[in-house]
Amino acid sequence: MPSLFVVMIFLPAMAAALLLLLDAKAPPERARWTALLATIATCLVSLGVASQFFAQPEATADQRGPVHPRMELRQTWLDVTGGGAASTGIRLEFYLGMDGISLAMILLTTVLTISAVLVSWTAIKERSAEFYASLLILETGLIGVFCAFDLLLFYVFFEFTLIPLFFLVGIWGGPLRRYAAGKFFIYTLSGSVITLLGLIWLVIESSKIALAHGVNLATPFSIPDLASLLSLHPLPEELQFTLFLMIAAGFMVKVPLFPFHTWLPLAHVEAPTAGSVLLAGVLLKLGSYGFLRLCLPMLPHACEHTGTPLIGALSVVGIIYGSLCALAQNDIKKLVAYSSVAHLGFCMLGIFALNTEGVSGGVLQMINHGLSTGALFCIVGMFYERYHTRQLTELGGLASKLPLLGVAMVFTSFASIGLPGLNGFVGEVLCLIGMFRRDPIYAILGAAGVVLGAWYLLGVLQKAFFGTLLEPGHSSHGHGDHHEPIADLNAREIAALAPLLVLCAYLGLFPQPTLDLIRPDVEAVTKLYDEVRATKPTKLAAVEMPRPSGVPAVKNGEDRP
Amino acid sequence: VNEAIQQLNGAVNLILPELALLATVCLMFFAAPFLVSERGEAPVGLKHRWGWLSLTALALAAWFWWNGSLVPRSTGPFVSDQLTWYVRGLTLAAGFVLVLLQWNQADDSRAAECHASLLAILAGADLVAAANDLVGLFVALELVSIPTYLFLLLPRRDAPAQEATLKYFLLSIFSSAFVLFGMSYLYGATGTTNLMAIHTAFASGIELSHSPLIAVATVMLIAGLGFRLTAVPFHFYAPDVFQGAPTSAAAMLSFIPKVVGLVAILRLIMPATGGDSQVHSWMMTPAAIPLLWWLTAVTMFVGNLMALMQTDIRRLLAFSSVSHAGYMLIGLVIGMQGSGQVNGFAATLFYLPVYGAMTLGVFAVLIAAARSDKRIESFDDLAGLSRTKPALALMLVIFLFSLAGLPPTAGFLGKFNLFVAAWSQALESSRLLACLLGVNAALGAWYYLKLIGVMYLRDPVDRSGDVRPMDVPAVVAAIVCLAVTIGLFFTPGPLWGHVQALVK
Repeated sequence: MPSLFVVMIFLPAMAAALLLLLDAKAPPERARWTALLATIATCLVSLGVASQFFAQPEATADQRGPVHPRMELRQTWLDVTGGGAASTGIRLEFYLGMDGISLAMILLTTVLTISAVLVSWTAIKERSAEFYASLLILETGLIGVFCAFDLLLFYVFFEFTLIPLFFLVGIWGGPLRRYAAGKFFIYTLSGSVITLLGLIWLVIESSKIALAHGVNLATPFSIPDLASLLSLHPLPEELQFTLFLMIAAGFMVKVPLFPFHTWLPLAHVEAPTAGSVLLAGVLLKLGSYGFLRLCLPMLPHACEHTGTPLIGALSVVGIIYGSLCALAQNDIKKLVAYSSVAHLGFCMLGIFALNTEGVSGGVLQMINHGLSTGALFCIVGMFYERYHTRQLTELGGLASKLPLLGVAMVFTSFASIGLPGLNGFVGEVLCLIGMFRRDPIYAILGAAGVVLGAWYLLGVLQKAFFGTLLEPGHSSHGHGDHHEPIADLNAREIAALAPLLVLCAYLGLFPQPTLDLIRPDVEAVTKLYDEVRATKPTKLAAVEMPRPSGVPAVKNGEDRP
Repeated sequence: VNEAIQQLNGAVNLILPELALLATVCLMFFAAPFLVSERGEAPVGLKHRWGWLSLTALALAAWFWWNGSLVPRSTGPFVSDQLTWYVRGLTLAAGFVLVLLQWNQADDSRAAECHASLLAILAGADLVAAANDLVGLFVALELVSIPTYLFLLLPRRDAPAQEATLKYFLLSIFSSAFVLFGMSYLYGATGTTNLMAIHTAFASGIELSHSPLIAVATVMLIAGLGFRLTAVPFHFYAPDVFQGAPTSAAAMLSFIPKVVGLVAILRLIMPATGGDSQVHSWMMTPAAIPLLWWLTAVTMFVGNLMALMQTDIRRLLAFSSVSHAGYMLIGLVIGMQGSGQVNGFAATLFYLPVYGAMTLGVFAVLIAAARSDKRIESFDDLAGLSRTKPALALMLVIFLFSLAGLPPTAGFLGKFNLFVAAWSQALESSRLLACLLGVNAALGAWYYLKLIGVMYLRDPVDRSGDVRPMDVPAVVAAIVCLAVTIGLFFTPGPLWGHVQALVK
């Protein structure tokens, strides 16, 4: 019954089309209710899809390749070599599927989009129909990326997400919005063009390998088929190295890893709140998801020998550099943006530990960062709406004036810092454990980021939320005396934040269901690396401790709180 | 005598669609003066009647095209193989769109000549695909050029249009001379003007392709046809002409000459198409490939870099068309060096209709969005179009994203096929071309994005004085182009199948 799944992908786009084509001049009231209903409906549909997903039997480890969607839907798109259905050649497919990792990311997306609509409720006054339409189109693109199991379809959705975000930042953003939108667009596009070339090369070389080994690879663009082929007949190592660098180019920009992160703070600061929420919450994950889905299963040698040192080092630099930059910021939104660089560093560190703990931690960290940073951006947006400033020096003691907002901020900051009992902790610990087993140096350096993270976020709490009350003067921002009295969170804002905060707590207290959900897919990938290390012992392998058989170390997460 | 008549009949049967178009052209040129008074006044709405006549002629040609049969290539004057069939379909479809764009562009008294010129250009483009003889090919090329001079000047007879026409005229004559020069050397080396016979001559003797005569012929032909493609350094006329010419003429120039140039090159280098022969049995000269390689690389870069600096939309589109000519040449270069998993010629032939749909779509929107007093020239004229004309702006955005090669548009698949063709060939030079294509795709995105930014991110210009009613034909043309641009992304199969069959 996979048709619900197509509904899930295209429902937001349909709602957007409805808004744009039938009701382009809709009053804000109607536009936002349409958007809210559409996002809630999408979320419900995604839950329905999740229940279908769990009803499907799980493939056992020997039935499946490194990538194996539990649900799938395939339709030929373009037969490039024109050989017909069964022959070896290049065929593109509309191949939609879902495995545990993608399900988790999709649920994250559908939940975050509801919050994104709710925080835009009063902030967006101009061209609201177009705004919500862009938001909904973005949601379609994001869900599509996680559902795509054809390389080119993946790339299509990956690129497509740029378009609505460009408009979101460019039209409804801050003062530098046009520059920010252009920079973000060109930066990520340039990276992903290299990725596209890499993917094409990967497919061409793989179909040659298939031919040489007499394997009938009719659909080399299908990620599961390609991954299974390459797990049996890996590509030559030098080629893997080049391909890894090419394919990683787009993802490194998207994540963003250290030297390629410059577009991010700018885009975040200029974007409207909803744009920041989705950008931080989901769009950045496209990069790490891309690594996880494409690089890890298909280029094991390159990931093992190049990926870990290269990406590991860049992540560590990103963690420390991002945290230090965050410490130096006066603008809270920029601070949160730099903290994203650091958090994504943890995520990449986990993924490139290339063992079950690390990769599970990486996936968990993707979700955690989406929830906690998404919530942080929501909160920043909320008090920006009240005070029209985000400067730390102009704010103080807000917790006494706005107690609910204060509570939410404290809670979210703790989740983001990684306080035990909240979600950030589980993810970071798993990432660090994984990396420690792989190469302790990176893990030790990365752990320094945890301390810095506590420092800058507690700094925000201390300056803006506690201490003596300091509110910016009303005259400074134009509408002078007509300002509405500043009130605490209203029901809508609570509704926007509550699901995120509840999920933060839930994932912190009960991480095991999520870990169980992603475990089969993570283990199928990390199994490759046991083989890679067995065939090619390196110096690092000697340091690695023998893995306790039977009980995966992932269980650790359960005992924490 | 009977045999000669039979041969003539046979030849005529091969070019029925073109004859239908040319007969209408004659009718229009002949009848038009009688309907216009001596002072140049014509009944109101006459231009629309000529438009309907053009559409009828195109429909008739399309009927002949659809019911015509393919015949294997022989030594006759004309050929009607799969390439001919494909190009005819392409030009006739483009013809429908161009007639719609032309609909309101000329005043009533000049409309007949404008429509006649357009039909003659389309017939010429078809004949280029149908020609099987050097002389026939040259005549067909001129049948495209000469009406173009009229077409550039007639709808708007102001100073910029005159200047544009003069520039185009002089350079076009110049390029025709190059082509003729090249053809004469080719004839000198092989002793025949029939393309089939020339290919046979090459197939039989390897030393022929190393003859200096052939080298000269190759260089001259590429230079002359490069003018049509707006390949750098033969592109100088393009920005000025696009800027000065009427919008519908600029639209025509952005597409039809490129079809003509590419098909002429294909005709010269491909012995035959269809199942009856191999594609790659002959190359003009070994020097042709490096020459074309550099032409391609330079064309892409100059087109994109110059487009980055433009502030006039037409000049920008002119340079964008230069860069797209570069993309299409990639497929040609790759196709000439044999085939990887995907044939380069096929990728280029797929790119042609995709490019046609998106570039004609852009011009259609420009025509539809023009104000009553002023056409759209600078970026400022488009500022805030998303607020004043949201539907047109949305369509233009889709066309521009397609030109930039972003999904979900056909432009993405077009570039993707070129990438695959270039990369699967496993030659260093081809892979380098693929990388250059990647760089250029990113460069190109920047100026298309700039246009989109102008429409969506800036405040609208005052359009209060705008009383122009909606230009329905232009909107229809834009919608047709939009349908093709989106449709080819989701169902590229049928078109790709044709293109594949064509080069195999």
